[in-house]
Amino acid sequence: MFRKHHFIKISLTFLITTLFYLHSFAQNWDIPDDKKTKNANFKFTNQTISEGEAIYTKNCMSCHGNLGKDNSLKTLNPIPPDLASVKTQERTDGELFFIITTGRMLMPSFKVILSEEERWKLTSYIRSLNKKYVQIVSETNTSKSNLIKIKMDFDSLTNKLKVDVKANETSGVVSLKDAEVMLFVLRYFGKLQIDKTVRTNNEGIATFNFPKDLPGDKTGNVDLVVKVSDEIYGEVETQSKFKAGIPTDKPSLTEKRAIWNVLKKAPIWIIITYTSIVLIVGAVLLYIIYSLMKLRKLGNN
Amino acid sequence: MSEKEEKPKKKSRRDFLQNIGLVGVGSVFAGSAILAGIKYDKKKTPGARIKVLTAENELLEIDKNDTTKVKITKAEDLTLLQKEGREGIAGKRWVMVVDLSKCKNARKCMSACQNAHHLRPEQHHINVLKMQEGKNTAPFYMAKPCQHCDNPPCVAVCPVDATFKRPDGIVLIDNERCIGCRFCIAACPYSARVFNWATPVLEEEDKNKTYNVELNVPQRKGTISKCLFSADMLREGKMPYCVSACPNGVYYFGDENEDAVTNGTTKETVRLKKLLEENAGYRLMPELGTEPRVYYLPPKNRTAPFQEKDKSEAEEHLDNNKD
Repeated sequence: MFRKHHFIKISLTFLITTLFYLHSFAQNWDIPDDKKTKNANFKFTNQTISEGEAIYTKNCMSCHGNLGKDNSLKTLNPIPPDLASVKTQERTDGELFFIITTGRMLMPSFKVILSEEERWKLTSYIRSLNKKYVQIVSETNTSKSNLIKIKMDFDSLTNKLKVDVKANETSGVVSLKDAEVMLFVLRYFGKLQIDKTVRTNNEGIATFNFPKDLPGDKTGNVDLVVKVSDEIYGEVETQSKFKAGIPTDKPSLTEKRAIWNVLKKAPIWIIITYTSIVLIVGAVLLYIIYSLMKLRKLGNN
Repeated sequence: MSEKEEKPKKKSRRDFLQNIGLVGVGSVFAGSAILAGIKYDKKKTPGARIKVLTAENELLEIDKNDTTKVKITKAEDLTLLQKEGREGIAGKRWVMVVDLSKCKNARKCMSACQNAHHLRPEQHHINVLKMQEGKNTAPFYMAKPCQHCDNPPCVAVCPVDATFKRPDGIVLIDNERCIGCRFCIAACPYSARVFNWATPVLEEEDKNKTYNVELNVPQRKGTISKCLFSADMLREGKMPYCVSACPNGVYYFGDENEDAVTNGTTKETVRLKKLLEENAGYRLMPELGTEPRVYYLPPKNRTAPFQEKDKSEAEEHLDNNKD
């Protein structure tokens, strides 16, 4: 009897420990050490905080709730923390930046959706309620990103887009090797990523396969955005128009004649039937009046 | 008298000129005073008075010169709002995709919608239904907004042109025209419309607001209300209230002409055709020929199970096909 109890106890303890371990495992973010120490290369100001707040409202609030109000959505598993909480604030800027960038489980990745600068501004907003927080500004040279020159070239025959990334160093023009390049097309609510994220080759060139069936504007123009991120030079984005899409000029949805449309766009059969009914009824009435008048004349005679 | 008569004769030319000057200046002053008086009198003539009706419905007479034209902002201009509401946004064909595999019944879409459109708690522009289609099939949650049909039966039956379809696909209601006949409620196969039977919740607060046809606020007792695809938000380039409030990534919203939809939670943009093709997207009751603008992705590979407490409600749908 005792042994049986003992066995149950042991197995229960084992189960609980396993579950707890799994639970805590689920709560852990696997953040590489070099990412933990990463810092923003600009100072967090009221300006960056208010810009970060706008980004927060749009992208984070539906799950994390209002900052510092502890009203995050508790029905989710794992529960998204209030980002002003002590646990989150104990993390380094680099850790917060990494979490926003990669995401995990329910938390989406914002690598494609937000630029590096926007992700740092978001971090500045998350820090805004923490009075003890002292920012460490990265000492990397920020002006380096200004040296990058991006050249886009679209080949309409092969439907390929070539992106040439160079840096105008004082020693001469250098090709950016192994830099991460992403290509987007601007759409009404966001950026649509084209092809995969590629890295530049030794000549600093990245090639993208552009889809043949992507709708453009009336003349087929599309707004393309190229985002280049490099370890040394930072992140740069450029936008330009190319005739790479299919010319699209679809008629409005109220163009067709239909029973639900306005009077001018009523179906022909309705117009014909209605008008002929009105005319026939009118004619009959006139005929009756004419006949009555004739009858009266006959009576008078 | 003789002395007096003599005096003027003694006056020198200088004196004479001095007097003339005084008289001149005096008469200029007097003249301008008279002129001002006439002007003031003119103002008071009854012809220049106009009748105005105050906000309190009181008819007053007021001098025309005392009136100033009231400058109104766009948000206060009913005619402009109605005109814009009918025109829509050029070149767009709005489309919504609801991914049923991600819905966990968080009901955030419903509360965001009710807050935005000032709805009573029992009124829903969007409703998360508990569905079970067959005895042996799995129950699932299904969010159901207005389907914004391309062949809308509700618009066809409206006798006063209060509900209409816009060039960008949205079906809207103009409560300034609605007579509350409820034909559209009877015509809609998706039960998307609600009627304001009771006094709207924020009636007092909304009393002085100009009616915005793209938001349907203020709500008015005795008129229809329904999902508007948040037409006011789309104008600002933002996604609808329900779409951006969802914590589970259920909704995609976008423009069919651009062949792109954006997820409200993750903000990821994907191609509409590809999304529908890869996930076997479908529409509700296609056999009716209503051509809805809302697409559904089937509830497969769900991340969260259907909750036990909702099962009985889902089973209610089975009563009709008992055999």
